[in-house]
Amino acid sequence: MIVLGVVAAVMFSGLSTRMWYMQAVQADDNLAIVEAVQTRSIRVMPERGRIFDAKGRILADNKRVLVVAIDRNYLRNEDDRTELFRRLSGPLQMTMDQLEARLDDERYGPLEFLPLKDGVSEELALYLEERWEDYPGIVVQESWRRVYPYGALASHVVGYLGAILKENLAFYRALGYEPNERVGSYGVEQFYQTELRGQPGVRVFRVNAQGRVVGEAKEAGSDAQPGNDIQLSIDLDIQLFAEQALETQLMLRRRVEGGIQRLPDGTPDPANPDPVLFKAPAGSVVVLNHDTGQVIAMASYPRFDLRWFTSGISSKKFAEIFPPTDDPDLSVLVNRAVSGRYNLGSSFKPLVAYAALNTGQLAGGADYEFLDRGTYKLESIPNYRCREGVKCVFRNSLCPATATPCRYGTVNVESALAVSSDTFFYKIGEQILTERGYQPILEQEVRAFGLGSPTFIDLPNEYAGTIPNKALKRRLADLGVIAEDAGRAYYVGDQILFSIGQGLLSATPMQMAVAYGAFANGGRVLMPSVATVVLTPNTPDVEPGVADLDEAEIAVGPVVTNEDDRIRLEPRFDLLQGELLRFSDLPPTNLVNMEPTVRDPIVRGLQRVINGPGVDYDYYHKATGEILFRSYPYEKLPIAGKTGTAQGFGNLPWNDSSVFGAFSLDPEQPYTVFAYLEKSGYGSQAAAPVAKCIYLALAREYRLDPVTVAEPLNLASTTPAPPLTMRNPLCLAGVRTEGRD
Amino acid sequence: MAVVDRSSRVGGLSVKRLTRGWSSAYSDPIRNIDWILISAMSALAVIGVFTVYSATHLRLIDQGFDPFTYTQRQVIFLIIAAGAISLVMWLGHDWLRAQAALAYGVVILGLVLVPVFGAVTGGARLAIDFGPVSLQPAEFAKPVVILLVAAYVADAAQDEVDWHHFVMSLIGVIVPVMFLLIQPDLGSASVVIAGFTGLMYAANARRRYLLLIAAMTAGSITVSIAAVPRLGYQLRRFDAWLNQNSFDPDLQQVVLQVRFAKRAVSTGGFSGQGYLDGPLTNGKYIPVQFTDFPFSAIGEQFGMIGGLVVLSLFGVVLWRIWAIARAGRDRFSRLLGTAIFCMMLWQTFQNIGMALGVTPVSGIPLPFISYGGSHLLGSAILMGLVQSIAMRRRL
Repeated sequence: MIVLGVVAAVMFSGLSTRMWYMQAVQADDNLAIVEAVQTRSIRVMPERGRIFDAKGRILADNKRVLVVAIDRNYLRNEDDRTELFRRLSGPLQMTMDQLEARLDDERYGPLEFLPLKDGVSEELALYLEERWEDYPGIVVQESWRRVYPYGALASHVVGYLGAILKENLAFYRALGYEPNERVGSYGVEQFYQTELRGQPGVRVFRVNAQGRVVGEAKEAGSDAQPGNDIQLSIDLDIQLFAEQALETQLMLRRRVEGGIQRLPDGTPDPANPDPVLFKAPAGSVVVLNHDTGQVIAMASYPRFDLRWFTSGISSKKFAEIFPPTDDPDLSVLVNRAVSGRYNLGSSFKPLVAYAALNTGQLAGGADYEFLDRGTYKLESIPNYRCREGVKCVFRNSLCPATATPCRYGTVNVESALAVSSDTFFYKIGEQILTERGYQPILEQEVRAFGLGSPTFIDLPNEYAGTIPNKALKRRLADLGVIAEDAGRAYYVGDQILFSIGQGLLSATPMQMAVAYGAFANGGRVLMPSVATVVLTPNTPDVEPGVADLDEAEIAVGPVVTNEDDRIRLEPRFDLLQGELLRFSDLPPTNLVNMEPTVRDPIVRGLQRVINGPGVDYDYYHKATGEILFRSYPYEKLPIAGKTGTAQGFGNLPWNDSSVFGAFSLDPEQPYTVFAYLEKSGYGSQAAAPVAKCIYLALAREYRLDPVTVAEPLNLASTTPAPPLTMRNPLCLAGVRTEGRD
Repeated sequence: MAVVDRSSRVGGLSVKRLTRGWSSAYSDPIRNIDWILISAMSALAVIGVFTVYSATHLRLIDQGFDPFTYTQRQVIFLIIAAGAISLVMWLGHDWLRAQAALAYGVVILGLVLVPVFGAVTGGARLAIDFGPVSLQPAEFAKPVVILLVAAYVADAAQDEVDWHHFVMSLIGVIVPVMFLLIQPDLGSASVVIAGFTGLMYAANARRRYLLLIAAMTAGSITVSIAAVPRLGYQLRRFDAWLNQNSFDPDLQQVVLQVRFAKRAVSTGGFSGQGYLDGPLTNGKYIPVQFTDFPFSAIGEQFGMIGGLVVLSLFGVVLWRIWAIARAGRDRFSRLLGTAIFCMMLWQTFQNIGMALGVTPVSGIPLPFISYGGSHLLGSAILMGLVQSIAMRRRL
C-alpha cells in the first residue's frame, strides 16, 4: 500500500511540475501565439488626403465604397470554394474564372480577407449580409475610391494612383506599406504620397477555432488616420485656359503649311509637290509666380483623363487608350513641362547675353556694338583651316523679303535680342570662349540659372537637362548618339550652336521659366513648387466640391513665401530618387547677379521684342513679337519676352518647334510664362500667341471659360482625353512673322 | 437492540436495513462516513459544474440553445450521483459483493449490446441510447468487474493469489476489456486494467503475474489495434501523443486538440485569465473540452492556483481512498479499496496528463469534474463502495 501511495505521490508531483513548467515558463510564449491565433486583423485604409487648387476646388477627392471580401478560410476546400464562387458569380456579376483569378492575385496577402469586388451597391452589400449563411465567410468592408472631379484638367500635375511596382516593393515595404496598397504613381499623388496616405488602422476580430469571427477586440484595434490634404498653387481658371490655349493653338497649327519638300540641291521635290503641314503633336505651357516659385498653371499636351485610372478598365482597353510608343511626339503620360527634353532656340539668348554682360565680356556693356552683315565668320579659326573644310561661316536665318540671310546692321545687346540677331550671339559666344582661354564660362553662367540640373520641383520624373561641354560630348559619343570624332573635344562650333540655343543644349520649360523668372525677381533662381501647403486632414468644404481654405490648418510648416525662402515642405517624396528627400538635402536658392548694368540691357531688349522697335537696316526689321503684341494692353501688365525657334530633325521647316518665354515687369503681378509647342513653327507663330493669351487672362483682359466639373467619363472612348478648345480663340490671332526667330 | 437505539438517532436512513446482520462489534456505520472525502469530492463536483458551464455556454449559444443546458444536466447528474453514492453506502459493499456476479452479467450484456445499438460519438460506439438518457456500460463495467474480481480473490481465503485464481480473475477481466477494446474505448479498458493490477498487487500476486498483466495489456493493445479497424482512431491518438508537433494531416485533429489544450493551460499563467475570460475556451478551440479536457478550461481560467487546488483536492480524495483501503475490515474491503484507488489515480492522472500533453488522448473523463451522466454515476458507485468500506471499517 505504501508503494501505491508513493506511486500516486510521484504521479501527482509529475503533473504539478509539468503544470508549473507550462504556466510559469512557457506562458508568455504561448500567450503571444494565442493572441495571434485567435485574432484576425483587417487593415482599415485611411481616407487619402485630398488635393485642392489655389482656390480650394477639389482636384482629388475620395468616395466611400463598399468592398465585398471573403475570409480565405472558407476557400481552402476546393469543393466549397467552387460552390461559393458559383453562388457569388451571379450577385457580383463576375465569372468563375474572374473569381478564381482573384485568389491567385499576389497583391492580396494570404492572411488578409480577399477582396472580390469593390464599389458594390448598398443593396448588394445588404443582400449578401442578410444571406450570410448562404455566403459563408463573406464580409462587406468599407473602403475608399479616389475621385478626380475635373477629369483631364491638370491631370499631369495631380497624377494618379497605381499598384506598387515590383521594383519598388522593397522600398514601400520598408515604409510600412502592404503590397496590395495603391500608391501615388504620378504627379502630386506620387510626390506627396507620404503626406496624402495617412496611417492605416487595424480592426482586430476575435475568431474561434473554425475561423469564424466571434467579436471585435476594439481595444486592440486602432483607427485609421486620414492623410493630410494638399493645396496646390495651381489656379484652375488659369490652368483650364492654358490647356485650352495650348490645345487650340496646336490644332490650329496642324492646318498650317510648314513648307514644301525639296531635293538635296534645294529645288522643290516634284514627286511630293504638296506642302507639308505642321505636325504640332505636343506642347507645354508653364505659368510661374516668379516671386514665390509657385506654379499657377502647368499644361502639357497630349492630355489624359485621370479617371481612366479609377475606371477599372481592362489592361487591353488601357493599352488601346494609352498605346505604348517609342515616338516622343505621341507619349501621353509625360508632363512635358518638367520632363520635356527640349532644344531652346533663341529663347536661350537672354542667358547668353547675361553671361557676356555679367562676365564683362562685352566692352562697354550695353553700348557694345556689332555690325550684323547676315553672316559671321569665326575669328578664332585660321582661314586655311576653313579652306580645309572646317565650318567657319555661320548665317542668320533667311529674310523672306530678300531670300538672303537677314542683315540687321549695327546691333547692341538690346536690339540683337529684339530682332534675334544670330550673328551677334555667334560673335559673343565665340569671344567668351576664345578670349577666356577656352574655359567653360558660358556653361558656368548658364548653370547659375539652374539649367543642367533639376529645379527640384515637387513633381516626379523631372528631367535635368543638358549643357554642352566636353564631358557631355564624350558621354554622348560613348553612347553612340554623336559621332566618335565629334565626341573628342568641345569645339568652337559647339559654342556657336550653344550660343543660339541649339546643338546639345536641352532644358525643360520649367527650368526656363525659373531662369526667366530670375530676370524679373532680382536674380533669385527659385525652387518651383506646385503645392502651396500641406493641410491637416479633414479640411471642411465650404460648398460641395470646394474646400474651405479659411478653415484649413497647416500641417507641415513653416510655409514661408517671403523674399528669401522657398516653400518648405518635407519630407518630399521622390521615387525617381528612390528616397525621401529632406529639405536640407536640396540645394539652396541660387542668387544670380542682377545689377542694373547687367540686367537692364537684357530686359530692355526683351521689352523691345514685345513692343518694338526693331532695327532699320536695308529695310525696317520688326522686333520678333512686335506684330503679335501690337494689340496687347501693355500698361495693364507690362511684360518682356523672347521668341525662339528650335530647329528639329534635318533642319526641315516643319520640324521647327516654337518657343516663347516672357516675364511680367509688374511686381504686383509676378508671372513668368514659358510656352513650348513642338513642331509648330516659329516662336512668334505658335508659342508666343499662347503666352499672349495667358497674359491677357492674367491681366483680366480676356474672358475665360468657366471651370466646371468634368462630364462623366465616356468608357466607349479610345482617346486619353476629349478634345478641349477655347470658345473664343481670338487672342491667338494676329500672327505674321518675318523669319525664324 | 442498542444498535437500533443508536441508529435511530440518525433519523432519515433506514437504520434497520443498514444494520441488518451486523455485529455489535462494529460501531454505527453512519458515524464512520469519511467526511473529508465527501467534502473533497463535493468541492471537485462544484468546480466541475462551473467548468462545464464555462466550456459549454458559448458553444450552446452559437447553436441556438440555452447556455445552461449542459450545466443543468450536469447538476441533475450530480444529484443522481449523490443518490447513487448514498444508495451504495446504504446497501454496503458486502451486499453488493453478493450481487457482483449478476451485475457482471448485466454489464457484459450491455457491452455486447453497445456495438449493436450504440450511438456513435467521436468515431466510437460507447453508449446505449435510452431516449432522454444514454448510458455507457463501460462506466458501470469499472466498478462491477473490480467488485467481482475482488470478491472472487477474497473468497479464496488465501494471503497470496494462486495461479488458478489469478487466471480465473484474468479471464473475468479480459472478457469486458475485450468488449471495451472493440467499442473501442481504450480509456475505460485501461482503467479496468489499472484497477485489476492494483487489486492483484494488493492481493500479493507474484511479480510475474503482474508482469504477465503488463505483457498482456501491451499484447492486447497491439492485437486489437491490428484486428479492430476502428481502433485506428485510437492509434492516431498514440501517434499524436508521440509526435505532438506532427504535420501529418491525419493527426491534425488530435494534434491541434492537444496543442490548444496545452496552450490553454499554459496561458492561464499563475492566476489564470479569469472565469469565463479564457480566450481558447471561449473560442471553442478544444473539441469535447467539457468531457475530455476540463482541466484545460480550469488551467486557462484559474491558472496555476486553480490547477493546484484541483490537484490538491484529487490528492485529498486519493489520500482518503488510500487510507480507507488500508483500514478495510477484511481482505475483500482492502482489495476493493486498493483497486478503486488505482482506478481513480489512473483516471485522474491520465485525464489531467492529457491536458498537459504528458499522456495520450484517451477519452477518459476527469472524475467528478467532466460532464457526463454515466461517468459520474460510475464514479459515484466507486466512491460509494469506498465510503461503504470506510463506514464498515475496522475500528
